Amino acid sequence: MNDQSFTPPPVPIPPQLRPSGDAPLGADPAEHVPINGLIGAIECVLRQPRRVMFQLRQPNSGYLIAALLVIAVVCSLIYGVVVGMFSYGTQLWAAPVKIAAGLLLSALICLPSLYIFACLGGAQARLVEVAGLVTGQLALTTVLLIGFAPVAWVFSQSTESMAAMGGLHLAFGLIATYFGLRFLDTGFVHFNARSSSGLKVWMLVFLMVMLQMTTALRPIVGTADSFLQTEKKFFLSHWTECLKQRRETPPTAMPDRGGQSGSQMR
Amino acid sequence: MSCQVKMPAPLWPFGQVSLLLRAEPVSMRQWVTRAQPERVLFCVAAVGVGAGLYGVAMGCWRDALQALYTGIKLPLVILLTTLGNGLLNGMLAPLLGLNLTFRQSLMAVLTTFTIATVMLGAFSPLAAFVVWNTAPLTGATRLPSVEYGFLQLTHVVFIASAGIMGNHCLVPLLRQWSGSASVAYKALVAWLAVNLLLGSQIAWVLRPFIWDPARPVEFIGPEYLRGSFYETVFDATRRLFFP
Repeated sequence: MNDQSFTPPPVPIPPQLRPSGDAPLGADPAEHVPINGLIGAIECVLRQPRRVMFQLRQPNSGYLIAALLVIAVVCSLIYGVVVGMFSYGTQLWAAPVKIAAGLLLSALICLPSLYIFACLGGAQARLVEVAGLVTGQLALTTVLLIGFAPVAWVFSQSTESMAAMGGLHLAFGLIATYFGLRFLDTGFVHFNARSSSGLKVWMLVFLMVMLQMTTALRPIVGTADSFLQTEKKFFLSHWTECLKQRRETPPTAMPDRGGQSGSQMR
Repeated sequence: MSCQVKMPAPLWPFGQVSLLLRAEPVSMRQWVTRAQPERVLFCVAAVGVGAGLYGVAMGCWRDALQALYTGIKLPLVILLTTLGNGLLNGMLAPLLGLNLTFRQSLMAVLTTFTIATVMLGAFSPLAAFVVWNTAPLTGATRLPSVEYGFLQLTHVVFIASAGIMGNHCLVPLLRQWSGSASVAYKALVAWLAVNLLLGSQIAWVLRPFIWDPARPVEFIGPEYLRGSFYETVFDATRRLFFP
């Protein structure tokens, strides 16, 4: 039937991605190439994290840090819109604002302690380099969240359970944060720290701050009468309450996504 | 040289189905790397035909219209899952140590789905035979009926087998590409997990595929956009263990 045959030129196997931490930064000449533009920065954060780390240690790293910060803000705003599409209405702008602000606030709150832990561990890093790594971590986390956005959107359009959607967003956030923290960990290897135990403790603290931020800035998934709730709560007790309310609500009487449903999340 | 593989001219490459099914790393690498439009079109057509045929066999237990709808919906589930997860799969690949571009990862996932649906297409006569031998749908048939449960289980086995085999075909390529079996399996498991997550929800939204006793035959019922697959599983598990 299809007798015409040809021998296509062989496709070369692409170079393997270098495992991080096996060579000093800058050993690969490709890492010396400056990173230009937001798309270039996104590409590098995903595919060439060592290049980002090397460039962050160069004298003129301010532009790259700003680019990473812009990526983190824009991506978190986009993901926030997807989160807001569960309830629509005011949540379409409130959820993106809260997610972007929460992420930046968490990083800002934790940045000083990270610098202190890094110095205590013997790392030779300046504050600006540590801040650069944190922006890289945030950029990677939020870029990954954009990857999860279509999946989250499909679920948000079909389910009415705020607890289920909250759980799903939490799972996506934790997965993305894992890769972000892995980037940070790899970056700190090149600061020649004697010990990484301080960094591990900091990661735990950062995670707790982020989780608490989801409760402090509630409601992010559901709706409410006011932009922020004044009642103080620990995130675990807030989640427990949400799950209890879901269990007590019969499936046929599941609350609407908007209107009075916000009270379910308070 | 081992890289010199005779391939048919890519006009309308039906002959390449056998190449895909053999899953030799060299030919798979060429297929994935040179994602020409006709190859993408071929994959989409193969998914449409393979999954469509299986869908027809699946839905014909109820009636001809259900067979037509399922024949359209099953390929839709696969294509929407591939597209919906394209971005995420492309991001996960380099993060897990696989040097694939976004386009290559999309093509790799589409290729595995193509292989799986070609298998499904081949299983469709078997599925039709099973349906033909199953007690027909009557007014007395209920959701807990044995024949309905048997059909559900049969389709799950067929679809799961095709999916597992389709994904397994990608392992040699990923292993060669990454130079590490561990990286290859990590990437494959990550892709499988996210495809399962989204695919099951899309299938949930597009149900019923076999039969719904409460509704007439319709493409997507009004209540199917409510709830999620995982909530239902969670609730069922909770009722089972904590009645």
